Amino acid sequence: MAALTISQGAGASGARRSRSAASAGFRFGAPLRALVLVLTGLYFLVPLLASGRFALEGARGTWTLSAVTALVHDGSLWGSLALSVEIALGAAAISVVLFTPTSVWVNLRLPRLRRVMEGLTLVPLVVPVVVIVLGLYGAFPPVFVASPAMLALEYVVLAMPYSYRAIDSGVQSLDLHTLTDAGRTLGGGWSKVFLRVLLPNLRTALLSAALITIAYSLGEFAMASLLSFTTFPVELFQIGTEQIDEATAVSVFALVLVFLLLVALSVLGGRRRAARGSVAAGDVGVADEPARLLGASRGGGDGEVGA
Amino acid sequence: MRRTDAAPGHGPRRGVLGLRRLAPYAGIAPFLAYLALFLGVPSVSVVTAAFEDPRGRFTWSNIHLALQGAYLVSFEKSLELSAWSAGISAVAGTIVAVALVSSSNATLKRLVTSASAVFANTGGLPLAFAFIASLGNFGIVTRALTGLGWNPYDHGFSLYTLTGLVIVYCYFLVPLMVLVMLPPVESLRREWFEAASILGARRRDAWRHVGVPALAPQLLAATMVLFVDAFAAYATAEALTNGAIPLVPIQIGTLIQGNVLAGQQNVGDALGLAMIVVVAASAVLYARLQRRTARWQR
Repeated sequence: MAALTISQGAGASGARRSRSAASAGFRFGAPLRALVLVLTGLYFLVPLLASGRFALEGARGTWTLSAVTALVHDGSLWGSLALSVEIALGAAAISVVLFTPTSVWVNLRLPRLRRVMEGLTLVPLVVPVVVIVLGLYGAFPPVFVASPAMLALEYVVLAMPYSYRAIDSGVQSLDLHTLTDAGRTLGGGWSKVFLRVLLPNLRTALLSAALITIAYSLGEFAMASLLSFTTFPVELFQIGTEQIDEATAVSVFALVLVFLLLVALSVLGGRRRAARGSVAAGDVGVADEPARLLGASRGGGDGEVGA
Repeated sequence: MRRTDAAPGHGPRRGVLGLRRLAPYAGIAPFLAYLALFLGVPSVSVVTAAFEDPRGRFTWSNIHLALQGAYLVSFEKSLELSAWSAGISAVAGTIVAVALVSSSNATLKRLVTSASAVFANTGGLPLAFAFIASLGNFGIVTRALTGLGWNPYDHGFSLYTLTGLVIVYCYFLVPLMVLVMLPPVESLRREWFEAASILGARRRDAWRHVGVPALAPQLLAATMVLFVDAFAAYATAEALTNGAIPLVPIQIGTLIQGNVLAGQQNVGDALGLAMIVVVAASAVLYARLQRRTARWQR
């Protein structure tokens, strides 16, 4: 699946260079530039607008909310949504509990492992979901695979490339040594320092990680469907095979929700940066993100698939 | 939390036989164990099962089966789909990146970068539905074109084909490419262009002999990434075609859902292993290309 990129500040490193080279060089002239951008814009906007129109379309081109209202009364849809929310919350909770201490520990005690960890957390990006599902059936007793808990446990792994990163960049932006030393000097034990000093400072990062995991879990279709759980997207798919306009209505709605979630995330990220007054150490520009994701993925990827 | 409690502390003589040196690693043990259990074990299981018959004895027959007949066709289809989508998206994404860098409008740049981050993450159902709503049999665009007297479905086009899938896959691959290519395009030095033009190069020559070669390693590396992304995608294809196009992930999905012949239970694992091999090969190629990029940049 595509790399979910956390939008945090647009390529701060690039800004300097682009200004100096704005006048000439490897550039397009204005007409060509406009043509390219307009065409691209159309390609990306038309399907969105079309699905919005499709969802609200009545007979003979009128506008109607009937597709939406039909769904509100669809009991199984609500049931599937409840299941999805449950799984998503579970996955988010496990992610935060598992990744936060790990990231703090690595940054505090094993800084030389930072690159390895970065690579390791990206491995799920290169292992196809269908392959993991195959392996689950092969490796675990059917009782486990049939439990929704399994889905939550796996979503922790699948969302890890994004969620670990969110937590890790938060941890890296803290002055860990000063904070822990201060806490220790004032007589706090390790657990107290962690809970009372570090966690409050990591609130935004943890919230981001949780939201990313939730967004991922609510939208994941492949694994849920292959493990035969009727989660929200799976139910949506089934509705779609009969009533495509209803399904489109819901999916537009879901898309808007996720979009708002992502916007909220970048606003949160922006506020955090503003509060700190400078670009935090862990904040990489949007543009660098996929390259870095993928750059690091090769080491881990090779090890994993070679196993 | 537990881990921070169990910190080895600075006290000396705590461990025996080098345990003290290993102690810091205990802090990441739960994380590693989790990954091993929920990612490592399943992956290894696929690899071993690919070489086992239903009774658990060693066999090559799964591999043989996976590389012939309908399964071989699915590989051809998958490779064709991934190559086309990756190729088209790579070119389109790079062009958009150049257009974007050419613009001095900072707001536009930020807008497109943010939008790319969002669009690169679409996929699965919403994407499939959005395209059914626009280019499906009764989609908005299809109807608009029909209104203009040109129904694409009368001219051999269908969204539910390989071509259709390529169009849909570009929707999340192009933005990914834009994000990946923006930094290298921005780093194309104006001085190189000036040097070329002082040496008598026209605009086109400068691009051909300086710009494109300078971008080539990055471009190819990124294309590998797109290729893998397209190759592994399951949800979008399944939602769009309902399994009508036999791509490898779709085939595996069908096998998982229980449509297997007796004695061929592990063919799915062999297909999975083949997918892993393709992905690993792409990763190696990517690493090679990436190293080359690193060599000349700075």
